[in-house]
Amino acid sequence: MLELRNVEVVYSDVILVLRGVSLQVPDGRIVALLGPNGAGKTTTLRAISGLLDVHNGEVTKGEILLDGTPIHTLAPQKVVTLGLSQVLEGRRILGELTVEENLRLGAHTARKELEENLARVYDLFPVLEERARSTAGYLSGGQQQMLAIGRALMSNPRYLLLDEPSLGLAPIMVQQIRDIIVEINRQGTGVLLVEQNAHMALSIADHGYVMETGKVVMDKPAAELAQDEDVREFYLGLHGDEVASFANVKHYRRKKRWLS
Amino acid sequence: MDWGKIVRQGLIGGVALSFIVAVGLFEAFANRMVIDPILTSGWVLVLWVPVVFGYRATRQVVPDGATVRAARPADIAAGAVTGAIAGAVLGLLVVITSAKPDVRDTLLALSPSLVQRLSFGHSVGYGFGVLTLGGAILGAIGGGIDLVPQVVRRVVSTVVVTILGFAFGELVVGDILRSLGLRSVDQFFYAQSRGLKPLGAVILAVVFVALRFLLKGKFKAIRERIPLGTGETEENRATRRNWFLVLGIIALAAGAWAPNLFGLYLNEVLSNVGLFILLGLGLNIVVGFAGLLDLGYVAFFAVGAYTMAIFTSPASPAFDAPPQWAFFQALPLVLIAAALAGLFIGTPVIRMRGDYLAIVTLGFGEIIRIAFLSDWLKPLFGGAQGVLQAGFFPGEQRGGIIVQWGLVLATIGIITLIVGLLRLNATRLITAGKMSDIRAYSQPVTIGLLVAGAALTIFGLVSPGFAVWKIYGIEPPSMFRITLVFVALAAFVSWRLRDSRVGRAWMAIREDEQIAQQMGINIVTTKLLAFVMGAMLASLGGALFAVKLGSIYPHSFEIMQSIIILVVVIVGGMGSIKGVMIGALVLIGVLGGPTQPGLLREFGEYKLLVYGVLLIWMMLKRPEGLWPEARRAKELHQEEMLQDAWLNVEPASEGVSG
Repeated sequence: MLELRNVEVVYSDVILVLRGVSLQVPDGRIVALLGPNGAGKTTTLRAISGLLDVHNGEVTKGEILLDGTPIHTLAPQKVVTLGLSQVLEGRRILGELTVEENLRLGAHTARKELEENLARVYDLFPVLEERARSTAGYLSGGQQQMLAIGRALMSNPRYLLLDEPSLGLAPIMVQQIRDIIVEINRQGTGVLLVEQNAHMALSIADHGYVMETGKVVMDKPAAELAQDEDVREFYLGLHGDEVASFANVKHYRRKKRWLS
Repeated sequence: MDWGKIVRQGLIGGVALSFIVAVGLFEAFANRMVIDPILTSGWVLVLWVPVVFGYRATRQVVPDGATVRAARPADIAAGAVTGAIAGAVLGLLVVITSAKPDVRDTLLALSPSLVQRLSFGHSVGYGFGVLTLGGAILGAIGGGIDLVPQVVRRVVSTVVVTILGFAFGELVVGDILRSLGLRSVDQFFYAQSRGLKPLGAVILAVVFVALRFLLKGKFKAIRERIPLGTGETEENRATRRNWFLVLGIIALAAGAWAPNLFGLYLNEVLSNVGLFILLGLGLNIVVGFAGLLDLGYVAFFAVGAYTMAIFTSPASPAFDAPPQWAFFQALPLVLIAAALAGLFIGTPVIRMRGDYLAIVTLGFGEIIRIAFLSDWLKPLFGGAQGVLQAGFFPGEQRGGIIVQWGLVLATIGIITLIVGLLRLNATRLITAGKMSDIRAYSQPVTIGLLVAGAALTIFGLVSPGFAVWKIYGIEPPSMFRITLVFVALAAFVSWRLRDSRVGRAWMAIREDEQIAQQMGINIVTTKLLAFVMGAMLASLGGALFAVKLGSIYPHSFEIMQSIIILVVVIVGGMGSIKGVMIGALVLIGVLGGPTQPGLLREFGEYKLLVYGVLLIWMMLKRPEGLWPEARRAKELHQEEMLQDAWLNVEPASEGVSG
């Protein structure tokens, strides 16, 4: 089990981004992490995978445990070997390399199982096998996202950390990515899914967390979360039984301000 | 006509002409003949300017999808005006110089003899007139180039290239002809003063024009049979591999034999080129593969040279009783020293990025050089006097490399044995069903490899000195041969590294450090590895350099060296092995290295100027380098294609000029 306990992250020694986040990703489950922009979702993922260093951030309090052993002090490459693999936001594939080279790169820590993992990824994403030798930068957005996920799978992870896999994709591609996540999960990989697309995330997650300004404000099984009034209004865009009117939303917001 | 453009181009051309004359390039080349009494190379340096600017003044920018405006006779007039302006500016310079001799105080090259030369022995006014008229004629040629049928253009370009090639390559051609025993042919074509004779020039031009039209399309036909970058099917790759194998073997055979033919000068130039290819390949690993801009690369070159010198020289300052090892005995130590130097410099700087890394490595490069120069380390490295007699053979007044063929055979034998054992293992794994990669591993070949390997190893070890090849550092032909061997080794290592797991890791670090980390790549050790590999290749170059020159001084390792090596890599194409070779051939071979002469010796002190111009031109027109890796070229030109893409949407309108 992957567990965060009261994690506090500070960037550049002054900017407090996470203020005591606690969450759990049980083995082989999908956990969704929702929240508005700037809530600290990506920072949470960075804290787990050890990428805070690059951004001049550090975990100042709390701990991140993988099966009870702390991992927040480890270097990112060590975290990968322990079985945590992150798909960074915005795909970030290496456009100059071919598709297969990208995948082989992902197998840097697991070269013994390279052949099996490659077969598994090609099985999950047949389109990548078709275009194995073409330049990765020329793939479509959805294919690039698939490649990014496939590349993360090449290290044979126990937990896959996905940062906004639906970002900038057509609805049909979002559907496809969603099905793939379910399939990956069915094969035994735990998934921590960070999403703005709450509808997609909650439809496949077992458990959901909602973050706001660096704190977890809600923590419920996904089904319950999907029924929650506030979540329905702010993340799913539903207001009661009828579709929310923008005028009403504005009105409601205005009332909550102090001066007016 | 676009008058603004014409005047602008004319003035730029004039400034270019005046610049070439004012920095002294014209004078420096004035005595080198191209065609003996008629044309000096100084004029060649000047004549192209009006032609190019005349062409530029009438050239149209043609975006994708727009129709090209047909060339008009008016273009000739436009070109003529442009050329006349350019010539007039130069004429003005001559007039001013003769009227006010003070300009010599700042521009030394503007001497009376120059004025004399540019006014053709008459009055200054006459010179002004001739220059303007000449500019106009040349400009008209440039402007009207599109009006001339293609055949004529081909003929003219062939003639120009042939004559210039033979004129500037006279030393090389002369040497080759002499070693073929054809001294009379040499005397037939070349004048005493080493320019082409007019008759010789005409004959050569006719022959090469004829050849060009006879061979037209032949090369292309051959080239098309090599599937370069077209469809990455398994079959294509196999064909390409075979072709490269054949070409490689031909190149090797030629490389082994040709130095006999080349004569001293060409061999000297080529072994310098080889040295810079070695250095360039090393730097290419650091800069091209791993993307770490290292401006202090010469430090590793210095470490290699000094280590080699200290352990081989009988006058080594570091030892009371110098070990006087042979080249290949000291070589492992050189590599180890370079690797340590790579770690030493790499460890503190590796956490820097981009510009900061460049500056810090620049500093370290200087630190190493100053350390070699310092009095503090004088007991080790000899301070400013350096190390003399590097690589000298015991009891001889010259030095170099001793190759014991027995040991070479033993090395080949061991490699063969390893290959055989690997094949044996692969066969075993395939039969045990543990490996899916089935290639035909035939048993007889494996056994043959094993037997041959064992035989060679044993024979080589039993009689290591059955044949000895003594390479003297001062003999360019054999030095070029051994350099070629080292270059082949370095190219092979670079090539295998590039396509390996480490190579991919380097590429990932270059493209996206965060992603690299996320893939589980330890970026600190991987970057250090790049540094160390680069350092080791540079130290090979350094070791060769030491025995080639026989004496090592700190001033051979100035910062300029680092810059030149970097320029070689950039001009050739970063990350491309072939590119580095082409870059070194063009820059070091033709123009010459920082202290070494190239084929165009006259450039001498103007070398850096030409380097600068070339670099600027490259960055504007061909940022990916002369022969880049396919994928990088694609990336750099993709943006251009995307920028032009919107033009395709609009219906093709009439030509856009300006």
